[in-house]
Amino acid sequence: MLTFVIRRMIATVFVVFTITVLVFLIFFHTPGVDPARKLAGRNPSPETIKAIKHQYGLDRPLPVQYVILMKKLFISRDLTSYSNQGQKVVPEIVAATPVTLSLVLGAAVIWVVVSIIMGVAAAVLRGTIFDPMLMVLALIGISMPVFWLGEMANLITQDRYHDTFLFSWVPPLGYTPLTQDPVMWFKHLVIPWLVLSVLYIGLYARVLRADLLETENEDYVRTARAKGLSERRVLLRHTLRTSMISFVSLFGLDFGVLVGGGALLVEVVFGLPGVGLLTYQSLISLDLPVIMATVIYGAIFIVLANAVVDVGYAWLDPRVRPA
Amino acid sequence: MGGTMVLAWNGIGSSIDPAVDYDQNWTLLNMIYDGLVTWKKVGGSDGNTLVPDLAQQIPQATDGGKTYVFHLRPGIMYSDGTPVKASDFVRAIEREFTVPGPVGSFYQGIVGGDACAKTPKTCDLSKGIVADDSAGTVTFHLTAPDPDFLQKLALPFGYAVPSNTPDKEVGPSNPLPATGPYMIDHYTPNQEILLVRNPKFHEWSKDAQPQGYPDKIDIRLSLTSEAEVTMVEHGQADWMYDQPPSDRLNEIATQYTNQVHLNPVPQVYHMALNTRVAPFDNVKVRQAVNFATDRAAIIKAWGGPQVATPTCQILPPDFPGYVAYCPYTTNPGDGKWHGPDMAKAQQLIAQSGTKGQKVAVICTPDEASKAVCLYFVSLLKQLGYDSSIKVLSAAVEYPYVQDSSNKAQISFSYWYPDYPSGADWFDVVVGCNGFHPNSSASANLSEFCDPTIQKMTEKAIQTSVTDQAAANQMWSQVDKATTDQAPWVSLFLPKHIDFVSSRVGNYIFDPNVLVGGILIDQAWVK
Amino acid sequence: MSTVGGLEHPIDPLADAPPEGWVAGRSPWALAGHKLVRNRMAMAALAVFLGIVVVSFMGPFYADHVAHTDPFASQLTATTVINGKKVDVLQQGGGVLKLGETPIGPTWQRNYFLGADSQGRDVAARVLYGGRTSLTIGIGSAVICSLLAVIVGMVAGFYGGVTDSIISRGLDVVWAFPVYLLAISIATVLLTQGLTIGPFSISASSLWLPTLIIAVIYVPYVARPVRGAVLSVREKEFIEAAIAQGASNRRLIFNEILPNVITVLIVLLPLMIATTILTESALSYLSIGVQPPNASWGTIINDGQQLLYTRPWVAIAPGIMIVLTVLSLNVYGDGVRDALDPRAKLRVKD
Repeated sequence: MLTFVIRRMIATVFVVFTITVLVFLIFFHTPGVDPARKLAGRNPSPETIKAIKHQYGLDRPLPVQYVILMKKLFISRDLTSYSNQGQKVVPEIVAATPVTLSLVLGAAVIWVVVSIIMGVAAAVLRGTIFDPMLMVLALIGISMPVFWLGEMANLITQDRYHDTFLFSWVPPLGYTPLTQDPVMWFKHLVIPWLVLSVLYIGLYARVLRADLLETENEDYVRTARAKGLSERRVLLRHTLRTSMISFVSLFGLDFGVLVGGGALLVEVVFGLPGVGLLTYQSLISLDLPVIMATVIYGAIFIVLANAVVDVGYAWLDPRVRPA
Repeated sequence: MGGTMVLAWNGIGSSIDPAVDYDQNWTLLNMIYDGLVTWKKVGGSDGNTLVPDLAQQIPQATDGGKTYVFHLRPGIMYSDGTPVKASDFVRAIEREFTVPGPVGSFYQGIVGGDACAKTPKTCDLSKGIVADDSAGTVTFHLTAPDPDFLQKLALPFGYAVPSNTPDKEVGPSNPLPATGPYMIDHYTPNQEILLVRNPKFHEWSKDAQPQGYPDKIDIRLSLTSEAEVTMVEHGQADWMYDQPPSDRLNEIATQYTNQVHLNPVPQVYHMALNTRVAPFDNVKVRQAVNFATDRAAIIKAWGGPQVATPTCQILPPDFPGYVAYCPYTTNPGDGKWHGPDMAKAQQLIAQSGTKGQKVAVICTPDEASKAVCLYFVSLLKQLGYDSSIKVLSAAVEYPYVQDSSNKAQISFSYWYPDYPSGADWFDVVVGCNGFHPNSSASANLSEFCDPTIQKMTEKAIQTSVTDQAAANQMWSQVDKATTDQAPWVSLFLPKHIDFVSSRVGNYIFDPNVLVGGILIDQAWVK
Repeated sequence: MSTVGGLEHPIDPLADAPPEGWVAGRSPWALAGHKLVRNRMAMAALAVFLGIVVVSFMGPFYADHVAHTDPFASQLTATTVINGKKVDVLQQGGGVLKLGETPIGPTWQRNYFLGADSQGRDVAARVLYGGRTSLTIGIGSAVICSLLAVIVGMVAGFYGGVTDSIISRGLDVVWAFPVYLLAISIATVLLTQGLTIGPFSISASSLWLPTLIIAVIYVPYVARPVRGAVLSVREKEFIEAAIAQGASNRRLIFNEILPNVITVLIVLLPLMIATTILTESALSYLSIGVQPPNASWGTIINDGQQLLYTRPWVAIAPGIMIVLTVLSLNVYGDGVRDALDPRAKLRVKD
């Protein structure tokens, strides 16, 4: 077990290292990308650019620059953004994390609850018209581009029906921290939560329904049924519980991806200043230190989630423990 | 007096170190810090007049224009209680060279400045700037007379900083102490900047640094311009930094007519034609495109005739030396643009023999820029070229088109001055000194360098040291000659749209580069 | 990364386990085809999808002969005729200030059926052209991705050992990167300079660029099941027997492994196209996918974002097209899976 965990950790470090090197090389390989030029203002002289390059170590070999950047990011933690030299990158990400967490946690609650209801309902109602109807509904959710859904939600709540009683409470796009005004925080996030959760409701309801139907044929469920337990009890006590194992592991992975920056599109559409938006802005403005930091942050979350789920599986089921 | 003014901005917050920030935060910095001189804080073109700020008066240059002696106003303190000293200005200018950032090519003319630019580590301006703390005098020695030196001192790069300020950029968490009516209470990048009254401030000159009306100025960051419009409409914000998006213009203009203010700003939007790359190395082709361009169509893409005026020349109105001039139009003569002259354009193109060549039109991904570029792609096709559009991300586009090794042919761009002076236009953006081959720092996108015009420019700069009126006349000659050579297709002069909430009173528009819009602290909130 | 449509949760720790449904070696294709044809919902979905394809490829015809417009040229000063009156396509704002220029809304007529965008171009014609682009990229990248994944997955699965672990770790690298982050960082860079690999050079505005980017980022998601399918065959006793009898590697690959892999691909392909279309639209929406003058559904939604409150149809129409296309592919994909591999329905995670 311990060796398995250690091996995962080594793989994780390897993966993160490769990704950062890739990003680093891609960045310095782009024409027009010149951090010194950006720092130098509107109309600098070429000597100015040269001086700035030297001051920032941008004239040193790439491997040295990479090491310096990583050292500043992880060890001295004073890596600063290229767009705003006074701005340290690590606190910037720390400040954006609660926004993303608020968004993802809220959406997760919605999608877990709704998808369980939908999945169980579809499985129970198998053979009736409701099962395919629910599943088509789930498929529609999977088929909608999330940014478009967000735009449509904005169209309705910010403009077309904003002046009706239905949506007059919706504040302008943006974010208010929970600690500052919980009610406003909630109002800002309700629509993004719903929009983000639609896709996952669809996915999870389908997965859950399929798992439920599969587990129903397992021996121990049949036994339970043969013992005379009521259908409902069998479903809730045995089938659902078993199906939840894979449900929870999926949830772990998706949650990791979303917190790691995967909610980028939703954050862009709703102007939520989370990690995704930060990543997007840094990519658009080619702000290398922030790109590196957000990418590492995202990769770490995703790899961690992967590792947690893998380890969890290995613990639950020794057969999966890889050789 | 009183109240909190809320401003909405889609920026993520730039540097608040006056030595580092270039343009982005000047609107704020000029309410917080002061230099020796500044531009008068009033509306109208008077806003471009220099007035003494921390200095008692504006000195006359002596020593043939090479020496300036300033006497400080006594008794002015920073917000932390330390008095403003003469040596603070030495520190401020030195930091221009030592703090990584847009180093002062502005101040390279000070004795010792050249050495500082080359090796910032050993920067020593003690010969160029002599400070006498007890007498309260600051003396600048220049290597050569510079007619724009006072204007350069008025830029935020020249703002006083305590003499113990380190050679490092000051970040959001520890802003420099203020001299102006407001100081930074806190600054959370991507979220908020809060300005509060500076308790140590007293009004020493209404022209230079008047007391402000609101008690607090709260700047909310990272907002979309759509959200900003909504916030102002609902009274959740009092002013939006950014220009309202084009699809909301009609809405705010019809429903909030009295809250919308339109003012011309000294900017010229243009297509820069690379005079060293085919087909635009041929002056006939450049003139032809100028004749063919339907500036009215482009103005439609920008938001209509109410927000932009067509232009053909290099200089903007209200600029020293401006005389309306437009040769590239039907019925030329009155200096105004009336319509495109396709016949003339096609004739010139035929003469040039460049038909069928490939032309890539470069622009950024924003809507208006794409619309303008697409217009030129269509126009160049009509003129017989194999044209295409090339969209580059905003961060890459400007350095890319500057670098002559990329051989950019034609790109959408705009220019505005750092201060109102002909030299800041002609010597930089269409002059030989603005062109640096194979460097991403080459503001002269057209790579235009005409020896005759350059001589005229240099003469105008020399003349302006002694005789501003004569120099202005020369600038208008330079303007004409350059326009005739057509390094640009000058397109339009934009108007700045200010959208304020219904509770804002005393709206004053200051066209100066420091403000470029509403005088924030001179407006009040009811 | 499973945030994108069709490929449901490919990050499944069990994905490497041999899917039992595919073990049977040669699938009874005829039976499966018959079963698929009888699935009315899948057939209806296929019809919808093919309908969208046909209509999209009619874009040029519509623009030339119905709407009489060039949806890719600047139309800032264009005019059109409504109820016998000539009107500007971009109309100056009203009121005292006359600010802004608003494109005309849907006319529900031959020209400007869905109105104009901010450059005066016919939105309906653009949506059709955009469909052509989106479908081309979607299908193209799914096919390229499958080819790459088959090579990678087969090599890994067939040779095993060190080769397998190197490839698997490589795939992990791509995997650990959120799809959009990976695509965005590649796209931002490549859009500046285009891409040059050896003698091949792709310009920044070429459709090949987004196609290749999307194809590459999804390779791990397809390579894993392919590898799984190869492993499942390899481990079967009869293969061992075949090896014992001296069967050549080539025979093994073509007779035993390839059919299994193809089954996997046929099941995955519709779902992959659904996914790649969604990804393309997202990249284009962030303006780092399809570049002007080309347009895809995503770029049109991006254009429409600026006009969302005044002319919502610019954003609504391409969105509906995306939903219809992706939905039909997902329903059809479900049908294919049911037909080829009934048990797969019970284990949706592929």
